[in-house]
Amino acid sequence: MAEQKVLILSAGAAGIQAALAEAAAGNKVYVAEHFPSFGGERIPQDKIITDGDAFTSPDLAAFKSNEDIEFLRNADVQSLVSENGQFKAKIHCRTPRVDPEKCDDCGKCITVCPIHMYDDYNEGLEWRTAVDFFDSGTGYYNVFKEDMPVCQRTCPINLPIRTYVGYIADGKYAESLAAIREKLPFPLSIGRICPHPCEEECNRQYKDEPISICFLKRFVADYEINNNIEPRLHLPEENYTEKIAIIGAGPSGLTCAYHLARFGYQNITVYEALPEPGGMFRVGIPEYRLPAHILAKEIEFITKHGVEIKCGVRIGQDISFDEIKENHDAVLIAIGAHKGTSIRVKNEDAEGVFAGIDLLREVNLGREFPISKGKAIVVGGGNVAMDVARVPLRIGFEESNILYRRTRKEMPASPWEVEAAEDEGVKFHFLTAPQEVVVKDGKAVGMKCLKMELGEPDERGRRKPVPIEGSEFVMDADAIFGAIGQVTDNTIVDEKYGFKFGRKLNFEVNPETFETNVEGVFASGDAATGPNIAVRACAGGKTAAESIHKYLRGK
Amino acid sequence: MCTGRVDPALVADAFVNGADGVLVIGCYFGDCHYISGNYMAKHKLDMASEMLAYAGLNPVRLQFRNLSSAEGARFAQHNTEFVGQIKEIGPLGTGDKIGMPKLKEQLEIAHKALAGPKLRWVVGKKPVFIEEGKGNKYGEVFTQHEIGRTLSGIIVDEMATQSIMAALEKKPAAIKDLAKELEIPAPDALKYVLALKRRGFVELDGVEGTSPIYKFKSAEGGRC
Repeated sequence: MAEQKVLILSAGAAGIQAALAEAAAGNKVYVAEHFPSFGGERIPQDKIITDGDAFTSPDLAAFKSNEDIEFLRNADVQSLVSENGQFKAKIHCRTPRVDPEKCDDCGKCITVCPIHMYDDYNEGLEWRTAVDFFDSGTGYYNVFKEDMPVCQRTCPINLPIRTYVGYIADGKYAESLAAIREKLPFPLSIGRICPHPCEEECNRQYKDEPISICFLKRFVADYEINNNIEPRLHLPEENYTEKIAIIGAGPSGLTCAYHLARFGYQNITVYEALPEPGGMFRVGIPEYRLPAHILAKEIEFITKHGVEIKCGVRIGQDISFDEIKENHDAVLIAIGAHKGTSIRVKNEDAEGVFAGIDLLREVNLGREFPISKGKAIVVGGGNVAMDVARVPLRIGFEESNILYRRTRKEMPASPWEVEAAEDEGVKFHFLTAPQEVVVKDGKAVGMKCLKMELGEPDERGRRKPVPIEGSEFVMDADAIFGAIGQVTDNTIVDEKYGFKFGRKLNFEVNPETFETNVEGVFASGDAATGPNIAVRACAGGKTAAESIHKYLRGK
Repeated sequence: MCTGRVDPALVADAFVNGADGVLVIGCYFGDCHYISGNYMAKHKLDMASEMLAYAGLNPVRLQFRNLSSAEGARFAQHNTEFVGQIKEIGPLGTGDKIGMPKLKEQLEIAHKALAGPKLRWVVGKKPVFIEEGKGNKYGEVFTQHEIGRTLSGIIVDEMATQSIMAALEKKPAAIKDLAKELEIPAPDALKYVLALKRRGFVELDGVEGTSPIYKFKSAEGGRC
């Protein structure tokens, strides 16, 4: 039998044993290991004398001396495809940063290495240096380069936070902004509205308080427009002529268009159903949090890269999805989640009951809302509910009430948003569950509510609200807004394509590439992930752009 | 002599030998005959100043100023001003964070750290690492802030390391005694000593009761 090549992933105890077995069978063995040396996790102290889990030194010695085994350190498998009964693996070996040819093993690097770090090999008993004598098998030195900082890892789009904050500290604002725009074309908008999960992880909070990562981004972006600095454009070196359609000019769609333009695609068309581009940035976030003229600046920056935005074109009405798919080499569906979920109470279809998201859209587009005075009731406890509750007070309502089934502690909204709503005069009614819309002459005139108390925690750890018997009361209202979630309006695509949909009617996609189950059609943003924060939508758009690039170039 | 050649250890040496102030005067930025000598001086003296201030010196005692060789009057002016400032805070040990003779000991340790290879390597790489378009071998450019943070970290580490070395050179000691004498938290002292041992600067002398005793091995370090 001809010699076979065997690839073994990871050189832990099992990997080493498998490698030895395969080598004994006469095969050429490659072992790819993520870490710089073999052995995997150190042997747990309580497991030294057990079964095959723990390996012993004879294995290691045999592994080292076996000529049929090639050990690839610092290696990660990037892709694995099967072809004609064979596998083809693409392996990325991270550089050990020390050239074994040139290294003469003087050991001076360890003596002078300035970085001290937690020594995971000795469970933190001592400090290790960044360059370390790791691999006793080969005698090679290895430089340990830190993984992403914790803030960057938390950020959905992995913004280089340490770099851009560092540049701001150095006073290099243009460089800082350029570092942000490598990944995110919306520093002005995200800097205003992001709930900044990065700051929750920031290590500085253990000393005093986290770095204001989000507002620093806003500052550096504002600095540019306040000083009328012309933003630098990144002009691609190569140009491609494939036609790409992006449905939805929201955070995700525009980020995708921006990155595709930077890759060099010249025929990118963004179709937007609403009269103005921006998606949820434009119609889901009230003007006082994200002014339209600020957003317009950023969209202008994106269109300058050669992206065409066609507004007022609704897929399925003005142009069919079939037509788009036919005329373009790749399609991205980034239509977001603009349909409010029903509040699921009796008489919810009465006149005067609206989806909160519709209120935000109409007001943001400067349209007249059918009711603009009296009392408003908002059902829900998320950040969208906070926005929906604040807007009525600004368009003429005298009172705005939020109904939430649990207590303030369980509210999913960010605490600062709740505070801001409270300051503005929004009234909160906790432990209050809507039961039924009270209807008079076909119009909603109030909400019948039930008082609740907190019972046992459910499987997610949230204490379940239990109704208090006989506590019904009616709250008067002229308008009722539901803000308990949104779903995607997936009617733009025909059933014949067989798209798969998730719980929020979102398109099901490959989480790595954002490709749908239909070839050449990608989906990203809320349309793929379900309602989520804006920066995650942008991250999806960026990943989708990379996948579309790979898809078109790999054709 | 070009200010770029003013070694931070030289400056520390002056203070160890009782100088009350050191004024380094270099060319104006952009006028350097060797192109970057005065920038290099600035980086080195900034680091030296931070190190000596950490050791307890009043940072006013070390200053860097710019002057052209044709400006005699301004030279006199700089000197008068500097001498005035030093007179105001008084001789070494007054107006500093700590007094003599403790200050002298601390300065000696700072001198050793500044003369050692670690800080020299990092500060020597600093101008390249922060210059756009250059950076390290992999083209990674760092921000001033990042380098500054690294340097501050090294200064704290080096002061502790060097004071431990100096103490061990006098006599072998256990971790708890070192921690008490040098006012370093014991867990940190242990880590510093183990790191020194691993890099070949100290070694185990024996065990006294339940405490291992460490002793000084070599100032050069060695293979690990």
